[in-house]
Amino acid sequence: MVARPALRAATRIARRQPVASTYSSHNFCTSTPTLRPSTASSSSTRDSSNGSTRTTHFGFQDGISESEKTERVAGVFHSVAESYDRMNDLMSFGWHRIWKDHFVSSLNPGYSSSIPPKPQRILDVAGGTGDIAFRMLNQSHVVNANPNIHITISDINPSMLAVGKQRSLSLPAAQQATLSFLEADATQLPATIAPDSLDLYTVAFGIRNFANIPAALAEAHRVLKPGGVFACLEFSKVGNPVFDAVYKRWSFSAIPLIGQLVAGDRDSYQYLVESIERFPSQDEFRGLIEDAGFVVGGKGYEDLTLGVAAIHKGMKPL
Amino acid sequence: MAPSRALARLTLLRRAQQTALRRPYHSYDHPAPTGIFNAHEQAILSAAYKHVPEHGFTAQSLSLGARDAGYLDVSTNLFSEGPFSLIRYHLVTQREALAPRREAILADVTASTAVPARVERLTWERLLGNRDVNHRWQEALAIMAQPSHVPASLHELALLADEIHFLAGDTSVDPSWYTKRGGLSMIYASSELFMTNDRSPGFGNTRAFLQRRLAEAGSLSGAVGSVTQWLGFTASAGVNVLRSKGVRI
Repeated sequence: MVARPALRAATRIARRQPVASTYSSHNFCTSTPTLRPSTASSSSTRDSSNGSTRTTHFGFQDGISESEKTERVAGVFHSVAESYDRMNDLMSFGWHRIWKDHFVSSLNPGYSSSIPPKPQRILDVAGGTGDIAFRMLNQSHVVNANPNIHITISDINPSMLAVGKQRSLSLPAAQQATLSFLEADATQLPATIAPDSLDLYTVAFGIRNFANIPAALAEAHRVLKPGGVFACLEFSKVGNPVFDAVYKRWSFSAIPLIGQLVAGDRDSYQYLVESIERFPSQDEFRGLIEDAGFVVGGKGYEDLTLGVAAIHKGMKPL
Repeated sequence: MAPSRALARLTLLRRAQQTALRRPYHSYDHPAPTGIFNAHEQAILSAAYKHVPEHGFTAQSLSLGARDAGYLDVSTNLFSEGPFSLIRYHLVTQREALAPRREAILADVTASTAVPARVERLTWERLLGNRDVNHRWQEALAIMAQPSHVPASLHELALLADEIHFLAGDTSVDPSWYTKRGGLSMIYASSELFMTNDRSPGFGNTRAFLQRRLAEAGSLSGAVGSVTQWLGFTASAGVNVLRSKGVRI
């Protein structure tokens, strides 16, 4: 079936042998291969009988077919390692670590009121380098004293998984034993992940790069247990107009410049800020989560740093 | 771009419905939507609330409640505010419990009694609503005083003061609308704090404390009213004296 050449999302290819640096971040950044012009008819969600005509966007360019976006995003992250790690710190003033720490501690994986604690199964999607997964391991094993969890790190990109694997070697053996790696497409998870089998599904700074976000949400809904939680940390929209002006100025002028100076790659960082700009607002994304069949509590999301990033959570109803 | 436009329209529609339902006043024709919690939150919170006397307003109670309601430990992530959701559930349910019991609460208050007496009865009933969780209420107050929860807590306090005055039949539309509600909020909050250390049978000391504070507020507002009246009279008399002297005012 030609139907879904497109559905290969969240691709991160480390073409070079990546350098393992401890506790790096998810890479926000991508490098853009040559951008070919394409037809303008675009719709990110329309289902057409012929899958190859389904189109999406890449940065500010419309009318990119899903497979092409997947390829381009796959061309991404190719000089992963050290310069990107430094870049994330430079771009966010190191703040991305605080977002990630808050994300994991608010999820509180491994917390259980039962004695002995109930086992938990967690899937960390687009988590190749493992920084969310390693934080969750720490939260569960050390903070909540519950080693009875299992975390699967999933990524579409084997090279990124290799980075994660190498980094995981520095973890305590008990934590390594509860970790496994899976190369998978988030919009089409393999049969090894049974339906209704997961307690928690996390994706941090990854869903923006998916070729088909509703398909990934539907897939998350399928594999979660009833009562299981989908949690997403992603860039979002700033509410305060004054701060928004400053933030936009920073992201559209300074970030590509820093990218050029530090990483020697302006286009990737241009794609980064454009993809952030194109990502739906908090309310729209909550609508997508609800459309996938999740229920959200309260207003459905939590703004971080006035909305530069946001945490969305949805629960699969019983 | 059709789907994204449809999505935007949907969002707008949803927002329009929300704003249409939220009113800053009591409407008899269009009652406010019931509760701020959806069915799933309600299920977990009502089960968790039963664990509060034993485990307090904690993640432990929430988690036990989720288990009781058939959910997973991780389902408590539905509440982004964690234990504060449980506190808010207590505040909301206790506030909403006043209206249906209004007749019973005010049964022994004669129709001729003024609004202040009815306010006192209703406030006392609301304080008694804390009876079961009173030994845990200091923890709750500590959580409510955390900076991120202060706005929501104050909002609930304002809603409670407004509800009590509404149920007591207060119909004032002058600036005393604000002073009455502000005053009751302060008195209620301090009585609640007093109650957490009250060991007297039936919380008699708390009731005496509440009545003293309300009496003080009554005499204070009476004094302020008298002073205002005197100032107004003196000012207009002064103006008239000046006019009689030929000053063009």
